[in-house]
Parts: sequence; structure tokens; C-alpha cells
Amino acid sequence: MFGATSKSQPGVASSGSGALSHVYIQHPPLRCNTPGSRGLYYDDGNKLLLSLTSDQVLAWDIAQPTSHNALSADSIGEGPVLSIRFSLDRKVIGIQRSNHEIQFINRESRETFTQRCRSDAECIVGFFWTDCRTCDLIFIKTSGLDLYSYVPELKALRLVETKKLSVSWYVYTHESRMVLLASGMQCKTFTGFQFSFAGVVRLPRFEMGMAKYEANKKPVLAVEDVHIVTIYGRIYSLQVDRVAMLLHLYRFYRDAVVQQGSVPIYSSRIAVSVIDNVLLVHQVDAKVVILYDVYSDSRAPISAPLPLRLKGYPKANASSSRTGGKDMIHMETNEVSDHEGNIYGDAWVFLNPDLICDNVHGHLWRIHLDLEAIAASSSEVSSVLEFLQRRKLESIQARQLSLAIMRTLILERRPIPMVSRAIDVLVASYSHSIKTGSSLQGSMIRAEIGGHGENGSINRDTWSTVNNRSSTCSDPGEDLNNDLPSEVSGVDVEQSALQSQTLGNGGNLTDISGSQVSAAISSEEMYISVFALVEEEMASEPVYLLAIITEYFRSAASEKVRVNPNLNVMTVQLLACSERYAELGLFIVNKIVEPSKEVALQLLESGRQHCETRKLGMDMLRQLSLHHDYVLMLVQDGYYLEALRYARKNKVNTIRPSLFLEAAFASNDSQHLAAVLRFFSDFLPGFKNTSDHSTYCHYLNEMNSSYIAA
Amino acid sequence: MIMLLFLIGKAIAEVAESQFHAKMMSSIFYYLDMLQTIFYHIQSVDARDFIMGLSSTTPVSETTQLCVFDLRRGQHEGQELDKILFFFPADCPFSKQLSVIGLSEGLITFTRIFSPEAACDVIEAEKHSHVFYEAEPDIWMVMVVEKNKEAEAIWRIDALRKVLKEVHSLFVTFHGSVRLLLEKDLNGGLVRAHLYSFITDYIIDFFAGKKLQLPFFRDCLKERGTVQMLTIGREAAIGVQSLVRAIESSCGTNAACSSLILFQDLLVSTTLSPVRFDFIAQDDTVNLFTYAVLRLTPRALSSKTSSWSYLRKDNPSSQITAESILTNTGSESKDFYTLRDVSPDSQSQRYHVPRPLQRDRWSKGKDGFLVTDIWGADFDTVVSTTPTLWLKQTEEKVYLYVYQQKNVTVIILVPISSLAEQGISMVKQQLLENVSLKILLIEEKLTRGWGGENAYHVAGYRYLLFDSNKNMSRASPPGKVATLAKESLLALKKLREEVDLEKSRTKKDNPSHEKDLEVCIRANNNSWVIARVTRGKELYMVLEKASETLLYASDAVEKFSNRYCDRAFSLD
Repeated sequence: MFGATSKSQPGVASSGSGALSHVYIQHPPLRCNTPGSRGLYYDDGNKLLLSLTSDQVLAWDIAQPTSHNALSADSIGEGPVLSIRFSLDRKVIGIQRSNHEIQFINRESRETFTQRCRSDAECIVGFFWTDCRTCDLIFIKTSGLDLYSYVPELKALRLVETKKLSVSWYVYTHESRMVLLASGMQCKTFTGFQFSFAGVVRLPRFEMGMAKYEANKKPVLAVEDVHIVTIYGRIYSLQVDRVAMLLHLYRFYRDAVVQQGSVPIYSSRIAVSVIDNVLLVHQVDAKVVILYDVYSDSRAPISAPLPLRLKGYPKANASSSRTGGKDMIHMETNEVSDHEGNIYGDAWVFLNPDLICDNVHGHLWRIHLDLEAIAASSSEVSSVLEFLQRRKLESIQARQLSLAIMRTLILERRPIPMVSRAIDVLVASYSHSIKTGSSLQGSMIRAEIGGHGENGSINRDTWSTVNNRSSTCSDPGEDLNNDLPSEVSGVDVEQSALQSQTLGNGGNLTDISGSQVSAAISSEEMYISVFALVEEEMASEPVYLLAIITEYFRSAASEKVRVNPNLNVMTVQLLACSERYAELGLFIVNKIVEPSKEVALQLLESGRQHCETRKLGMDMLRQLSLHHDYVLMLVQDGYYLEALRYARKNKVNTIRPSLFLEAAFASNDSQHLAAVLRFFSDFLPGFKNTSDHSTYCHYLNEMNSSYIAA
Repeated sequence: MIMLLFLIGKAIAEVAESQFHAKMMSSIFYYLDMLQTIFYHIQSVDARDFIMGLSSTTPVSETTQLCVFDLRRGQHEGQELDKILFFFPADCPFSKQLSVIGLSEGLITFTRIFSPEAACDVIEAEKHSHVFYEAEPDIWMVMVVEKNKEAEAIWRIDALRKVLKEVHSLFVTFHGSVRLLLEKDLNGGLVRAHLYSFITDYIIDFFAGKKLQLPFFRDCLKERGTVQMLTIGREAAIGVQSLVRAIESSCGTNAACSSLILFQDLLVSTTLSPVRFDFIAQDDTVNLFTYAVLRLTPRALSSKTSSWSYLRKDNPSSQITAESILTNTGSESKDFYTLRDVSPDSQSQRYHVPRPLQRDRWSKGKDGFLVTDIWGADFDTVVSTTPTLWLKQTEEKVYLYVYQQKNVTVIILVPISSLAEQGISMVKQQLLENVSLKILLIEEKLTRGWGGENAYHVAGYRYLLFDSNKNMSRASPPGKVATLAKESLLALKKLREEVDLEKSRTKKDNPSHEKDLEVCIRANNNSWVIARVTRGKELYMVLEKASETLLYASDAVEKFSNRYCDRAFSLD
């Protein structure tokens, strides 16, 4: 048994890896093969890959795949193992030995005890640990659920609650904290429970739809046909309908389960992964994967079906060197060519959400999105940007790509409406990220059916999410507060999902990059990485760039985002350079360009050629109450008397009297010089004793005498 | 006896002041002698004027004359008529025309001796004021207005000069400079035909009934030759700028096209920057704005009467048309100015003179563009010829498109050089596709934010705010100004004249230095009349609340300045 959702179907091996792809796996894989391994198990609660030998269990922490060596090795004794899971604090190992008993081993004290079914009529289908407040452990039995709490002192489990219902099989992901219990003849009647921190939520019973072959023949839903996935913080169940060749999406709300469309499938064997909220439907037989972004109502794929690519493969022509994938000969020499390159081989098991385990060879692959390829595959720029902006995992890359797209758009002089739409996407995304960023501090986490809430109800995989870890660790949000979560904005949910993820993963994470959570592009970045860069190349043609900047202003204004001050300065510069003084005036007067000292100084600078512009700069200095600069500029322009008046009114006393005196002296007007001297004598204590006073008195006398002489 | 209050005297005084040499003395006497001669001349003109005023059968204002003449022409005896390019009224006998122009020419020649750069501005005779304006080098416009005891005849000279300036500026916009037209047709017929129809069409707007009403003292809280801006918020302004860019890119040409956007009779945006030439702003924006308000805006199209714009006259009920002025004449001079081309070699050929200022010739087309047949119609396609005009900024001839969406009028100017004739419809098509929706949204936004005709009324104040650098003004709505007492307005008129004088003195002394000025006077009726000038911005104000102190008045200005002028007038 491989987790609860394990499945193994024979597949048809064939080549199919082309150069084009949107998703890839990175060579080398995490190698977990140990001699004498009896099989691999995935403990999704702890993100551990467990390998069993005759009497030991080796664990690899896939959240930190730094080493190919096992994290730990625990002796578990002899005996059959149906499934094995570590407790969430990793202190206890639970091993299902048979359909009736589960053994518990304390890893420190080596104490063991065994929990058995009370009656032989029922048998244990599976079990999992939970971080639910009321219990620690859930047994799924054919007769229902047993909720236990673990009491270390007693070395025993205490039964908390029993939920009676018949169970054929179950699906559980720790990420969603949700278990779906199948029952009925066709196994298409489902009851769901969510074990979130706040408590246990029971979902309304619902049925999955299945097309019929013929009138009499009713298909039975198998465990491998049902998946639970978490996308943008929403929990979905995916059901493969083999007859209709459709994959149905069901979305879980707190009080309802709603089918939300279907997507066609092209293979009898289907696997799903979720990477960074992108749904991947692996058409295993066809060896291609189709990507869906179920953010919107549209169920159109993001792009055409393309194969999964093996990246970093040591041999250049990996696909051609692959021979029959069915011959699984364990030869180390052949290993690479035989099975590491065997895309969609039989041994592949898809683990929720984004892992592939090669069961036979003990390899673990992680699926990655090739954002660059996806971005390049579509010409719909604004939708590509929207897609990129929603990415969290490789947010830095997504951000870089977004910026590059933006730059290219501008440099290629695309039509303004198109660039404008692209800008709108980026600005809206940034605006949302600001809003939700602040909401992390509060308890605004709105839940769907408790898909996330306190303490990491959504415990998504962390291999790469370490990148995205938010450094803020705030109060956990309230769980299940919203009755109408369908109205929750996607980004909110996303953010909260991440937030809880951080909490849930607790100490397992290392903060590698400490970078921003989202791919959103701040005003600063927009300036530095877009406008400043393109300006250098477009200096000769400012008209187009001005149009783009105007669109950016418009977008920013409608989203109430502040524009980077440097962009304001640049705008002034561009307008002045292209001698668009009338528009420059309008930009300033209507405050399209936010007044600031920098802008004012730029206006003064640009105004060297154009006195109107200089006046705009002066006016701005005055309006900003930058008295010192204003007075200085007045003196510089020869309005020293006005400057004195202004200085006196606004109590500017930081300017040397000599500046005024020099200006007055330079004007060669003895009356003015006398006035300035008098001003300082009257209003500046001690001025009469300064050298300035004596110097300029002397000058004044000279001027007067020469005037008389003439 | 005729009293002369002239700049000539001032010029002499200045000369005397600055260069008081014995050598100069003799020449001064010589000038004085010359002046004497001119006095007599004026005297005789005025006398004749008086007689003709009585005897004239012309129904329209016999008391106002307006002429345009070229000093470089008709320098030989017998060819004097050559210098006359335009004379209003046209039926005035040549002898009188020549006498007015002769006097003006004499004064100009005389005053140029003292002040070559700026010759005479005005002659104040006992019964008439002669207002001079040198429109182009050696092309002079002179307006003669009668003074009498009636209130309507109390003029502010600078306002009259602004009329001359405005009509000339508009003329150049549509027809190019007078000098250029003269060079094209040495005969002068071409320029006469153009000036005649253009100025006549222009003057019609000043007729109230059968009376020509030029700007007088009651118009002192208005400033001709300026634009009035609509004040809009930041977001709306960005939207407008975005629209401007969209228009630019829709023109789809390499050459930059320009645009103006008006909301009702107020300017919202322009891409035309003023060009400075000898410290005189050549402002395309002002010209196009003026033209739009006169002929293009929804109000102008519907020719509704009540207007808060200084440009619109209050009395459109007048049945005066250009034709009525023209047909009155029948004198020899009519042929002189109108379209007859008597040269034998081009008998069938007449000047086609578009008359952009002709009334009621614009209408709104189905596609939202305004159409007119002023520029003629192509009979093959039954499509009116697209109007063209000259931009001073780029010295380029451009096509004029006007698009109107309810209150919003968008003027688009596309350089002819960048566009073949067949490209015109394409540009229109592109504009319709790309910007009509944007215009619709902007119109809605502006209409929502619009405070109505009294939006810029400030309770308790009657003001004029004028920025001479930007050629912008804002004033109390005319309906509010009308509540002012005559005394207040007369006082304001006097004050403005003083300020005008002071300004022109400062300009002559040091053109780059702008003086600050502050005057508060108490009028007969106890109202406060205030003027403040600072760095090119001017504020005129009338406060009629009686028995207030000077402190109060000064405070009121300060408050106004802080609130509405970004503290521009808060000097101390």
C-alpha cells in the first residue's frame, strides 16, 4: 500500500519525449534505493519517504533533499507491513501489520504496543495521524472511523469518537486534511470529513457521476480514480470517468459539494499532480501532460499537450537512447538509460501533489513547471502575465519573466492597448499582494471547507515552497468562518494557504531565500526593471514611452498604487526633452506626477531652457513648503528682494546673508543693496559686527560715490 | 482744442531723462516741431470724422474703425491706396481711410525715432482713442474708437488691443501670415480678400443689435487671448492623458499629431506648447481654443445665447451677417476688398477664400465628427474638403478634425505632409475605432465632476486670475460680475490700466525680470479694488462689502490665494 491513494496500473511504454515541454523533472532524482528494500512508502503528513528493509525503516525527508542518505533508520522488527506512518511529531511510528492490528513503536524508548479491532467482523482499511485538536490518530475501518488520541504515558490509544458508516475504500491527503470515504455498490457515494485544527467537519454526503457502459453494466469507481487536490487554497476532488473519458472536478465548500466542470482525458491511465496551483493531468498512456489553471471558470487548458521532459539528463539524446522501458534489469551501468529516462514508466507512482516515485528503483522525482516555456507558448500576453503572477513556487522566476515580457512588449513597440492591458495585470496583482500582505497580520484567512486554517491544514509539499516561505509568522487565522467561501477572492485564499503552510511545516523549513512570497511586481521594481531599462533604449523616441508611462499611471491610479518617485522624475524629464511643455504643465498642475522635491528639482533643471517649466518647479517647491530651497532658487534667479520677503515670512534663516548681498551687489543697484543691508541689520542680530556687513557697506559707499561722481 | 495724451511725450521724456545732452536738445526741438504738425493733422482728421459721422448713412457703428495696413507699400505719391489692406467700415471713402492710415503712419514713423522696438501704442484724442498693434513687422492694425459720455464707451485700451491681437492671431492660424500672402500676390488682392472676409466675420460677433460693442470697462474681469481650463482630479486627468496618447497613436503617422480636448467651453488638455518669440507667446492652443469656443463647441453649434465665456456675445438675436455688412456698401471700396480680381489674364479665376469664422457653417455629422463646407466641397465625392490650418509651433500645415461627444469636443490636428488625401478617411476610421469609446467614458467622468456654470464662483469675491505665461485665466462667472456696481468696475478699469502700464514699463526695462506688484484701492462706493501681480501671475479682485478695513481686504486676498492659487499671491 502506498499511501492511501496509491495505484498501480500497467502502462504502455513508448517513447515520446520531445524537446518541447512545459513541465519537467530534474535529474538526478532523489535516490532512495537501499539493498534489500521491501518497498517504498510515502508519509505525506511528515513529507517522509520510507523504505522498508527486513527489520528497518529508513526515512528520507523530502522537504530537505540535501542528501541521498537516509535521514534516519529505525528498527521495526520483523513482520508484515501494510502501511506505515510516523506521528506528526515523528516520535512514534505506526505500522499496520494486518487488517486487524496496528503496532506503535516509540522511537526513543523503543516501547511498543498494539491496537487491535474490537471485533473480527471489521477490518482496518488504513490509518493516518492528524493534528486535529480533538484527536491524534484516525483509523479507517470498513465499519467507519475511529478517532483516537495517543496517550504516551499509558502507552495506549484512547478512543475519542467513533463515526459509524460503511467504507469500501478511502482517499486522504494530509494537505487537505480531508478524507473521502467511498461506499455503495459502485463506490460512488462519498462521505467526507475534514480534520482541521479547529475540529472535525463532516461534509454532506454526495455522489459522483458516472456514465454507464450499457443499461445493465454499472462501473465501479476505483480508489485510483479519485484524487483530492488543493488548488489556490480550494479543495477539489477529481474523478476519472473512464466511460465518458472525462475528468470531473468537484469543489468542496463548507456545506456543499459542487461539480465545477470537466476536462476531457485521452488516456485510460490518468494521474494528476498539482504544482504551484497548476493542475497537471498526466495522460500516462499517451505520455503527455495537459496543464490547467483552474483559477477562473474556464476549463480550457493552458497549452497544448506536451510530454514531460527530463532535464539535466547526462546524455544529450536521452530519448533516443532509451530502449524498451519494460525490461527492468537492475544493472547499475544501464541504470540511467534504462529507467531514469523512462518517462511515464510502469513503475511510476504519482504522489500528491507534485512527486513521482519510481517504485521499483527507489527514485523520487519532483515535477517542475517550466514557466519560461509556458510563457513563450502563448501570445496572449495579458493572460500569460496573469498566469505568471499567480505563481508562488518559483515566484522569482515568474517575476523575472513578467518583467522580461513587459520590457519586450515596450521595446517591440506593441500597440498601446495591448501594453496597457499587460500593465493592468501587473498592477492589479501588486495591488492585491499589498492588500493580502497586510491581511496576513489579521485573521482574514477565509476558509473553504477548512481547507486551511490554523496550523497548516493545508500542508503542501515543501520541497520548493521553502523558497516562498513568508517570513511573517502571524496569528493563525480562524478556520471555517465563512459560509460562502465561493466568493472568496482567489488571491486571498492563496495567501492564506501559504500562510498556514508556513505554520504547518514549522521547523521543517529552512528559509533559503527569504524572498517575497508573490510574483507581484512592486512600483520600485517596475521602475528599475522596466522603465529605467527601456528608457535607455528608447531615449530617441520618447513619445511611445510616454504613452506607456501614462497607461501605467492610469493603471496605478485605478488600483490606488503609488508610483515610484523616480518614475515621476523620469516622466518630467521625458516630457521636457521632447519639448512637450504644454503636457508637462498639465501633468504637474493636475498632479498626475506627484509633487516631490525630486520632481521639483527636475523641473528646475529641465526649466533651464524653458522658464515656464522652471516656474512650475518653483511653485512646487513653494507648495511643498521647501522654504529653504525656494528662497535659494529665488536668489539664484535674481529675485533676492522677493526672497528676503519670503524668508522673513516663512522664517528661513538657514541661508547666508552674503548670498543675498552678492546678488544685490551684482545687480548694480545701490538702492537694492542698501535695502538688503538694512534688512539684515534690522532682522539678523549681530549682523552689524560681521565682515559681510562691513564689506558690503564699503561696496555701497563706493557705488554711491561713483554715482555721484558720474 | 484737442488734448493729446501720448506715448510720444513719454518717449521724449525718457530720452530727456537718460541722455540729457546739449546736442540732443536741438533734435528734441526738431521733434517737437514735427509733433506740432501732427497735432494739426489729428485735429483736422477729428473734425472731418465728426462731420462724416453725422452724414454717414452706414447703419452699423460709424464710430469705430479698424484698419490694417502695410508700411512697406504705397511709399510713392499716388500709390497710397496700396498700403491699405483692410478697412472697416468698408464703405468708408478712401479719402477718409487714407487720412486715418496716414495719421497712424505718421505717428509710427515719428515714435520709432525714440523707440525703434516698440513704436506708438495709443493716441488718446479728445473724442477718439487710436489703438495700435504691430501684428507683423510693418503690418499694423489700428482701431479707432469713439469716446463719449456713455458708459459703453469707456474702454480699456489693452483689452481693445487684445481684440486686434486675437483676430490677427486667428487669421494667421487659418491663412498664414499677412506678409506671406502679400508675397504670394504682390497686387495685394489675395490678402485683401482674405482679410476682408475674415475680419468681417470676426467682427460680427461683436454686434449687439446694430451696434458694435467692443470690450469695455464692464469686461475688466475678463482676459481675451487666454484659455479657461477645466479643473479636474488626478484620476480624470490621467484618463484624459491616456486618451491623448490613444489619439496620437491612432493617427498612425510618423509625424506627431496634436490634439486639444475641451469640455463645454473649457480646455481640458492640449499638446500644443506655446512658442516664444521675442517674448511674445505664439500660442496655438489659445487660437484653437478661441476658435473652438467661437464656432465648434456644442454651445457654439447650437448658438445658444447665455454664455459665461468672454468670447460669446450676449446677443445673437442680431440679424447681422457678414452679407448685411457687405451689401450695405456699394461704394467703390467694396470692390477693392472683395473678391474681384480685375487683372485681365485671370478673368475666370477667382480667389477661393475659405471663411473659417463664418457663422453656422459647422454641424455635427453622423459619425460624431463635425463637418463644414467652409473649405469647399469636392463635387465628385460630395465630401467636404477637410479643413486645414497653420500651426505656429511647428510651422506646419495641418488637417483639422473635430470630434464631438456631448459636452466633449476633441480637436485633432494631423500634419498634411504625413497624410495623403485618401488617408483622411482612414484616420477618421481609426479614431472612431480606437478612441470613441474612451471619449465616451471621459465625457461621462467629466460631466459627473462638472460643477456647472458657476463652478468657479467664489462667494463674496469677484475676481480675475490671469497667468500671462501660460495664457490662462479664470474669472468669476459673468452673471456674478454683472452684480457689481458701475463704480467698482470703473475703478477696476483704472487700476488695470495702471497695472498694464506698469507691466509694459517693466518689460521694457528688463524683459526677463518680472515685478511683483500689489495695489489696493478704495472706490467711491466703498468697494475694495485689488490687484496683485507676482511672477507673471495676476489677480484682480473686487470686494464690494462696504466698510471693511484694508486689513480685511488684504486678508481676503490672502485667503483666496491660499485656497485657490496655491499660495501664489501670499507674498508676506
